[in-house]
Amino acid sequence: MIDNPNIPQAVRAVAADGTQLRYALMEMAREMEDIITLGRGDPDLPTPPHIIEAANRAMRDGLTGATHVKGMPSLRQAIAEHMRAVNGLALEADNVMVTTGGQEGLFLAVQAVINPGDEILVPDPRYSSYDDAIKRAGGRMVMVPTERDDAFNLEAEAVEAAITPATKALLIVTPSNPTAGIVTEDRLRAIAEVAIRHNLIVIVDEIYGKIVYPPWRHFSIGALPGMAERVITLDAFSKAYAMTGWRCGYVAAPADVIDAMARIKQVTTGPVATVSQWAGLAALTGPQDCVGEYLDIYIQRRAVLLAGLDRMGFAYGEPRGGLFVWADSSSTGIHAAELSYLLLKEGRVLIFPGTAFGEQWRDYVRITMLEPIETLSAAVERMLPVLERYRI
Amino acid sequence: MTAPKSLVRPLAERVAALPALAPPTMENPPLPPRVIAAAEDALARGETHYTDRPGIPEFRAWVAARLLDRWGVTVDPSEVTITCGSTEARYVAMTLLAAPGSAVLCPGDSARIEGALQLLGARVVDSIQDDVTLLYITPAVYRETLLELLKQAEETDWWIVWDLSFAALDDFHPAQNEALAKRVVTINSLSGRMAGWRLGWMAGSEAALRLRAGKQAITICTTAVSQWAGLELARSGDA
Repeated sequence: MIDNPNIPQAVRAVAADGTQLRYALMEMAREMEDIITLGRGDPDLPTPPHIIEAANRAMRDGLTGATHVKGMPSLRQAIAEHMRAVNGLALEADNVMVTTGGQEGLFLAVQAVINPGDEILVPDPRYSSYDDAIKRAGGRMVMVPTERDDAFNLEAEAVEAAITPATKALLIVTPSNPTAGIVTEDRLRAIAEVAIRHNLIVIVDEIYGKIVYPPWRHFSIGALPGMAERVITLDAFSKAYAMTGWRCGYVAAPADVIDAMARIKQVTTGPVATVSQWAGLAALTGPQDCVGEYLDIYIQRRAVLLAGLDRMGFAYGEPRGGLFVWADSSSTGIHAAELSYLLLKEGRVLIFPGTAFGEQWRDYVRITMLEPIETLSAAVERMLPVLERYRI
Repeated sequence: MTAPKSLVRPLAERVAALPALAPPTMENPPLPPRVIAAAEDALARGETHYTDRPGIPEFRAWVAARLLDRWGVTVDPSEVTITCGSTEARYVAMTLLAAPGSAVLCPGDSARIEGALQLLGARVVDSIQDDVTLLYITPAVYRETLLELLKQAEETDWWIVWDLSFAALDDFHPAQNEALAKRVVTINSLSGRMAGWRLGWMAGSEAALRLRAGKQAITICTTAVSQWAGLELARSGDA
């Protein structure tokens, strides 16, 4: 609840809805000039040229007719081969479908497996855009705490403690949005044992799985023994290949889940835009240098941003993956929503308050590293005097 | 390890009632070269990021202008949302404007909305009943029946979804009646020419912002390059 009259009504009115709060701030920022936007998770880097060229070629050749709702066979096959090789998952093309971005993947997965009254365990803080999908299915979110001192890793004991007879599924997002923590292999092995013991479905969002900072490495829980029949893995081209606007993602799951998701997709959004599927095919089957090059860029940016946060007096758990830093702003003594508003209004820097990812995260902010280093440095210089002016 | 066939737990009950999967049926004639050129230009200038959640402003403005020019219906571009085909527009409109357990009155072919309503837990009826909350109509409905239902709608608080996709158009639009306009959502798509690009829209009504948020929650925004290609087709008068 935000009752500070200094914050515009447009922001206060939607403060309880994390997604709407983020969009309200973005819309305010859009109407202002000279704003540095470190809010939305939209890579500033370009879609690599060979992917653009593949899309252009498909368009010129007229290969843009509607596909089957599960996606182009060639793309589904390529995804299966890629996830077998990279993630260690046991998959055939029948275990794969193409989705309109990662967010739709989560929507379809939840609709396919969650009945009204079912509980789904969700790490806290959470990517609140997923709330709507769970609510639409009549599911109930049950939060599983994660801690800064643990780099927001997920503990099997915390998962098990949250299980009730109504629990049907566990949602894992690794690397995490918003915390940039990862769920490490040892933890995933322990969580898998819990999932098997309690017969849980695991929905795992790995959209940032290719953006993990060494020495840390991404690990897929679906590759563990006994998990293939209970794991639904979500991924997308959006982040690793800088392809957010193409709206192309994919899901790997047991074949009956894929069939169910496709039947839902058929009556909710239809197939993915064909040109985007050709682009996705080029992303997976073309040279992968771009993924490593982009990761190197993010590593450099992360160092600059963390140094800036140190100067600002913000603590943080080690960001091990993804495109964000989840920073503790409690040293300012200002509610995160108010702080975000002040930084936007007076510093002309857009960041998101922690309350957009869970109401109690009033001492945290999420900052993206999706601007060049010079811009990130400028953002820090803009924020510092605002903090000094208002720090309590 | 072998590829898994079945989930260890039962699927959601809602799945069983959904229609079986159909093969793709929409074949499109080749698009004019300028449409492809517009798409290539968009990609060349970096239109590969999320667009505004409701769609690119130029396309929303075109939709608003089209409604005004063709039917004399005034809709602000901010009340237009570009969707992934008319399928997404119908799903969002149905599930946000009808309530679980309620009835949706559809006097004609209901095949395009039955799946969405099954997911919602609502039902289709073809005659007026007490729990109707939404009227789904298309230009294919016999005009006398249509006018009768719209007269009934004036005396109720029904939402009205006017679906122009796949329909032969004439000069009639239910939002021409000012008493109804705030409850009329217009749906259309470019699927007749661009089925594989997944481009549709929903426009108007007091629920426009809610519908926009509903679309965002599922697919965030519609494919950027599709929107730029569609805009070119629309502006050329071929849509």
